[in-house]
This record gives sequence, structure tokens and C-alpha cells, in this order.
Amino acid sequence: MNDTFKIAAKELREMFRDKRVKFGAFVMPIFLVLMMVQLFGFIIGAAKGATKSTIYFVGAKTEFSKAFENSGMKVLSVPTAEDGIKLIKQDKAKLVLDIKPPKEDGQVIIDAYFDPKQQMGQLALSGVQQALAKENQDHLKVTLTERHIPESAAEFIKLNPKKVEVGSQGAGELIVGFLPYLIVLFAFSGGMSMAADLVAGEKDKNTLETLLITPVHRNHIVLGKVIALASVCFLSSFSCLIGLFVASVAKLPGSEEMFKNGFGVTPAAAGTIILLLLPLVAMFGSVLIAISSYARNPREAQTYLALVNFVVILPAVFSQVIGLTDLGSKLWINTIPVLNSANNIRNALLGKTDWMAVAITFGMSTFLAAIAIVIAVRLFNREEVLIRV
Amino acid sequence: MVRTHGLKKHFKDPKLGIKKAVDGVDIAASPGRIFGLLGVNGAGKTTMLRMLSTVIKPTEGSATVAGSDVVTDAQKVRSSIGFMSNSTALYGRLTSREVIEYFGSLYGLEGARLQERVKYVLDKLQIHEFEDRLCDKLSTGQKQRVSIARTILHDPPVLFFDEPTAGLDVVTSQTVMEFIEEARDMGKTVIFSTHIMSEVERLCDDIAVIHDGVVVAKGSPQTMRDMTGEHSLERAFLQLVKFQAGYVSAKQVTE
Repeated sequence: MNDTFKIAAKELREMFRDKRVKFGAFVMPIFLVLMMVQLFGFIIGAAKGATKSTIYFVGAKTEFSKAFENSGMKVLSVPTAEDGIKLIKQDKAKLVLDIKPPKEDGQVIIDAYFDPKQQMGQLALSGVQQALAKENQDHLKVTLTERHIPESAAEFIKLNPKKVEVGSQGAGELIVGFLPYLIVLFAFSGGMSMAADLVAGEKDKNTLETLLITPVHRNHIVLGKVIALASVCFLSSFSCLIGLFVASVAKLPGSEEMFKNGFGVTPAAAGTIILLLLPLVAMFGSVLIAISSYARNPREAQTYLALVNFVVILPAVFSQVIGLTDLGSKLWINTIPVLNSANNIRNALLGKTDWMAVAITFGMSTFLAAIAIVIAVRLFNREEVLIRV
Repeated sequence: MVRTHGLKKHFKDPKLGIKKAVDGVDIAASPGRIFGLLGVNGAGKTTMLRMLSTVIKPTEGSATVAGSDVVTDAQKVRSSIGFMSNSTALYGRLTSREVIEYFGSLYGLEGARLQERVKYVLDKLQIHEFEDRLCDKLSTGQKQRVSIARTILHDPPVLFFDEPTAGLDVVTSQTVMEFIEEARDMGKTVIFSTHIMSEVERLCDDIAVIHDGVVVAKGSPQTMRDMTGEHSLERAFLQLVKFQAGYVSAKQVTE
């Protein structure tokens, strides 16, 4: 076996025996994805429920309030508007409706009391507004028909939404909202816990010298360590997809909203993600080893790694909201490290892979990985860096 | 077998300027003899051994180990040496056998030859009882036996020992010293760095006293005593390194 792979195999064996790797690099991404799926599912369910939540009416139940009851809302009564306001202040009611007597022209005014700082109150109000808009429209149609005016007069301009399917079927947009971020994040942080041990830790424990006096070339030693660490980064990142698969199969409570289209990650998307991850983890692995080589001891390495972690987190976070802008479709965005990978993973998950963008991203990540490997090798060959403790 | 000529190692220190860790050392160690490098902490012993084992490159001068130059033929030198120090640790999450096999493979041993050598060192150092235990779980003595196994696995003709008994108990130190004596009897070239005089008296055939990076005396232990007129090697050594007490007496303080 080549010396590089002997070193890599030994490092992997050691890492897989380390609890930090087992939990931090593999269990944690799976657990986080499961939690995110459940959390998002719960929030969507709660938001949907809020539009059909409990509404308080002032005075006794009327035909009007019963209509709300029939639409699925829970309707309760309070004697006066002041009582209703009191309930809102006590956080016992989200929305109180006070129906005023009809005006001379027949218009009914309803005072709607709610706490603008309460999202549940706003959601309940929005649900009522939707119901009333439909009621108003139906009433208008009846009035127009009675006066022999076409119904279309009620809607001079009618908006008719038509869905256009772009690309193949992909994952739901909620999954796409957080999954690329986690995939990219764990491609770095999955290897972070062990990076400090691989060179700085060996300096600290004085095992590095025993390795340096073997006939193995130093370039092979550092490349072996990079390969081992990049493998852990890759597996950690891929664990996010495993977590998503587990969530879709296990049908956890709340997850049905997230998996309306099934698992959503097609084999083509998974293949594209792997393609994008390979140069990315090579870059991350090399950067981590370079930092570990430069540091005097694991504590110093951890300090540097924590700072570099922000450089990865920021573009990864931006990838979550890139859909709110048109930047995701610009080709130049594929030259920005980390963000380019996250954006292309997002597109792959949406079933909208742009192969030109993937090629630019792959090329850019490979180029940066090559630079990072050269830096790591050079640092590892500098004796003033290697023997300082 | 090990020879240096005008060997120097100067480190650049941003605050202190140039630090001459080793400054023109000439030594020669022969097969079947133990060469002792004596010196106080910071004298330059470890830097010497690091240059001879190719971990660092000399600033000036030359050194050959087993006939190969430490700069131009570093890989050959590394194949010919075994290095052991009390401070070098083992990989905690590997078992004793895995550590030995790993280093064997790095020294180019493979297949049946590797297994044969592994069996030899496991038998010789009685490691079988804990060969499948993680190194993190071993006692200090057991770790030292695994370190010795790692050092001799590839049967190198030259062995370097950098203060191998520092911090060890009497029993473990005894094992290490017996092993060094056996290596000498097997015709190996041994370079042994220490500042424990009893070990020098027992083990070393030739010695070099190194102080502030310079060799201040060379010869046998008896030569050192004769040179200084002292009866004990310890007193001779202190005289050679121009020992001055690092404190003043109580009487001087009160005066």
C-alpha cells in the first residue's frame, strides 16, 4: 500500500474510535436534520392551525358567528368588547370581533381587536380577512346578478396563477431552505474537532517526531492526513442526507408537511451533491491540516479554527436566503467559495441543476483545494513550524 | 557509523536574534559501543539528535549516519535508525499491536516479514498480554516496552536514545538500560543522551560533554575524571560545564 494511504488508513482508524467524531461528525448532522424537519413541520402545522384558531365574538352567538364556526373555527362569546380586550391582554384570546349594527347602506362594520406583537393574533386576523373577502365577493356577485350586470364586473382584472414546473421534481422548498446550509457546514465542522489533533495534537504529545523519522516522505504524511480528514468531512456532510432519508422513512410527527413530494432528493441530485462536495472537502481538509500544522498545540489550533469557521458559516448562511434575490442565477456567484457549492446544492435539490454553474463551482473549488494542499504541504515541510511547541 | 564534522544548528529568534543551539560539533560513534551525549537541559543534546535523525537540517557542517548523509540522503538515514525518547508518546486510540504494525509498515516491512518481526518484538518485550489493549490504557512501563518494540522493529543498525529513562521508575529504567546494553552487544551503534551520571558510568564507552552547543570534552568516562582530577564523574562533569550554584548561601544573604 502507498505510504499516503497507510497514513490515511491509520488516521481514519483512530478517528472512528473517537467519540467526538462519532457524535460530532455523524450523529449530530443526522440528529440536526431530524430536528429541523420536525421543527419546520411543527411550525407549518401551527401556522395553518392558527388561521382556524379560536375567535371571540362580543355578545351572543349570531348567524354570522355560526358561519365562522361552520368554516372550522372555534367560536366563543364575551359579554363586552372590554372583556375581550382584557382577555387579549391576559394572553387568553388572540382575536376578538365586535360586530356593529348595520349602517343605513347595509354595511356591517366589525371591530377586530388583536395584539400586533402576537403572530398568532395576526394569523387569526388574516384567516378572518380571507373568509370575509370571499363573503364580500359572493355578496357582490349576487347584487350584480340582481341588477343584470355580469359577474366579471366585480373583478375587472382577474389574476389567474398558473404553475410552471421547471426541471425535474425536487425536494420541497422548506427542505431546500436549510439542507444546503447544513451540508456545507458539516463539510467543514465535521472535521474540525479532529483537525487540531492531527498535527498540533501530535506535536503536543510528541508522536510527530516518531513519524518524521520514518522513511516516509513528509509530503506523503501530510497528504495522508488531508485524505483522512477530508473523508471524515465528506461523510459528515453526507450524513445530512442520511438524516433526511431517515426523517422521510420514519414519518415522524410533523414531517408530513416537509415530505409532500416524498424524499425529494433524486439520484441525480445526490450525484451532483457528491460531485460538488469532493473538491469542497479536499479544500476544507487541506485548510484544516494547514491550520493544525501552523499551531503550536491543539488549543491554539482550536482558536484559529473557530475564527475560520465564521468564514465558512457566513456564505453558508447567505445561501439560505439567496432564493429571495436573483443572485443565484448569476454565473459569477459560482466563483465565490462555499456560497457557490451551497447554491448549486440548492439548485440540485430543487431539480434545477445548471451544469455550467456546477462546472464553474467544481473548477473553482478544485483550484482552491489545490492551493490549500500546497500551503498545507509547505507548512508541514517547514521545520520551524513543525518543531515549535 | 555516526560521524559529524563542524555540525551547527542556529535558530532565528525574533526577540533574541540568532540562537546557536549547536555550534560546530565533531563526534564519532562506532558499532558495538555506546556513545553518551552529556549536557545540562538546553545544552544542545536534543538538537544534535534531531539533526542526526533528519528531523531538522543542520545550518552548517555535515553528518553521516550508517554511511548516508543526513541532508542529501535523509530517507536512507531514516531507514537505518531507531529513535526513542521518554517524551515520545504512542497513539492512544490504537492497540499496542496496531502501533507496532503501523510503524513496521512505514519502515517498509510487509506480509510475512512484518508478522515475523512483530512476533519477535512482542515475544522479546513480553507485550502479548496487553497487545490488544489501547495504548491510552497502558501503564508507563508497558508504554515504554511498546516504544522499545517500535524502535527496534525494523532492526536498525543505529539507535538514538534521548533521555530514555527520565521520569521512569527504577524497574522500568532497568528494562530500558538492559535493552540498550543488549543493543550494544548485538553490534549496534548507540547514541545515548542523558544527564544522569550513574547511567553514563554504567552504559557509556565514549562520551562527549556538550555545553551551550559546544563540545567541551570528549573521551571515555575515565578520561573525563583524569582530565579534571575529580574522583567522580559527576564532579568532573560539573567542572567541565563550569558549574555555578544558582543560589547564594543563607550566610551571604544575611551579610
